[in-house]
Amino acid sequence: MSARVLEIADLTVRYGGNRVLAVDGLSLGAGEVVGVVGANGAGKSTLVNATLGWSRGKPVVSGRVMLDDKDVSDLPTPRRVAEGLLLIPEGKLIFGTMTVEENLAEGATDPGPGRRAYSAEDVYSLFPRLKERRGHLGSQLSGGERQMLGIGRALRLAPKALLLDEPSIGLAPKLVSTVLHTVRELCRDGLSVLLVEQNVKAAIAVVDRMILLERGRIVLEGTAGEMRDNPRIAEAYLGTQQA
Amino acid sequence: MNVGQQIINGLVLGHSFALVAIGWTVLLGVARLVNFAHGQMYMLGAFVTWAAIAEFGLPYALAIPVTMLVGIAVGFLMQRVMLQLTLKQDLVSIMIVTLGFGHVLHGVAALVFGSTGQILDTPFSTRNVYWNDLWFTWQDVAIVVVTILVFVALKLVLDRTRLGRLARMVAEDPQLALLAGIDVRKVYFGVFAFQGAAVALAGAMIGPRTPILTSMGFDEVIMTFVVVVLGGIGSVWGSYIAGISLGLFTAFFGALISPAYTTPAAFLVLIAVLVLRPGGLAAKPGGGH
Repeated sequence: MSARVLEIADLTVRYGGNRVLAVDGLSLGAGEVVGVVGANGAGKSTLVNATLGWSRGKPVVSGRVMLDDKDVSDLPTPRRVAEGLLLIPEGKLIFGTMTVEENLAEGATDPGPGRRAYSAEDVYSLFPRLKERRGHLGSQLSGGERQMLGIGRALRLAPKALLLDEPSIGLAPKLVSTVLHTVRELCRDGLSVLLVEQNVKAAIAVVDRMILLERGRIVLEGTAGEMRDNPRIAEAYLGTQQA
Repeated sequence: MNVGQQIINGLVLGHSFALVAIGWTVLLGVARLVNFAHGQMYMLGAFVTWAAIAEFGLPYALAIPVTMLVGIAVGFLMQRVMLQLTLKQDLVSIMIVTLGFGHVLHGVAALVFGSTGQILDTPFSTRNVYWNDLWFTWQDVAIVVVTILVFVALKLVLDRTRLGRLARMVAEDPQLALLAGIDVRKVYFGVFAFQGAAVALAGAMIGPRTPILTSMGFDEVIMTFVVVVLGGIGSVWGSYIAGISLGLFTAFFGALISPAYTTPAAFLVLIAVLVLRPGGLAAKPGGGH
């Protein structure tokens, strides 16, 4: 088992009086990709948003988030980002009124040991399409290019752990595979990824472990192989029947 | 009617409108906030400059930065008091609080400076320039030059510096800016400080054109509102163009009809522009500065 980069304990999120998330424990090892799957409204996005202390709504969040053994639970979002906890949210993930170059301009200056600060050129090597589009506004990019730029923007900030929320939404199947396999490649450098995905078939091909969320709780957890063989996952999410 | 003189009057007035409005343009464009104490901050700028020169004997060139520092302090103080409202983008409360601030500033200024008018004399305000049948003062020239310099500098800062990039990120989406590691609160503080400094500078530059009174400021905030909305919210060049246009309109309307009705006429223009071009004069697809 690799060293734990991210640990989440007793994380609960409430909107008004309603508890929408209650995760007792979840960890992420160095270089590991953990998938988070579940139906719409299961709490997947709420989980990653709460881990970063971020939301477009007004939730009440409690629980503990440890990043490299450091408790970041009480830190505001920008401080968690500075510590290396990055989120690429679902939907709007880049600045549309700024060029690709400007989106990639903000980088970590002194990220500290064990964190790789990607330069803009590193990002262009990873996603050559972005280099061709470097002078274009974010709003002029396709869905796939936006996803690449979102990942590139996060890499510039030298993440230890990357929380990726539904990167496949709106993308053609080939692009989904390209984006997810690029993420997998990044983990060879020690990056840890928590991948929220509805496209279970695509996600299971790149994750080490996977959890299934239902009504805000983890109801199933296992390695990619175990989850693939689980009849519940196979039937409900992969569209296959086990013999 | 002397058309040339009206063009000069309109240009000077227009640059004055633009200079008063620039702080609010950035405030509204970046932080999506309004400040109805803007006019009183302008009044305070004029009076602090007057006090620095008349009471403390500072030269005009030194009185201006002192005035801007006071403007920054007032802007900082307001933002400190309203921080939670700002972060929640509670616009109704912010409107009421800033209106309240305006009245407090008015009261404090009346207490400190008295309610009688003062003349803010500067080395430029009494030096006239006559050219054929045209007349203006060196203070008018200084207003035009300073306004252009402020607008160009602001445009360069917004487009070409890290500070400007951070401000644009917060302007587009403060929540996404948090995910980029930007301390949005600091950006809001910076924007309020800029607004305070810019409107104080406007007071120091434009105050010498007319007698100054602690009751002034309400007309200025109204005209600022017209300039900012006409120019397209958050658009730097839009505010400049709108300021000049409004200045020329006011000068010619005053000369041809009556100066007494320029404010209602300005609002009629505002309504007409917003009906025909809802984004303002400088609106373009995708926004921009």
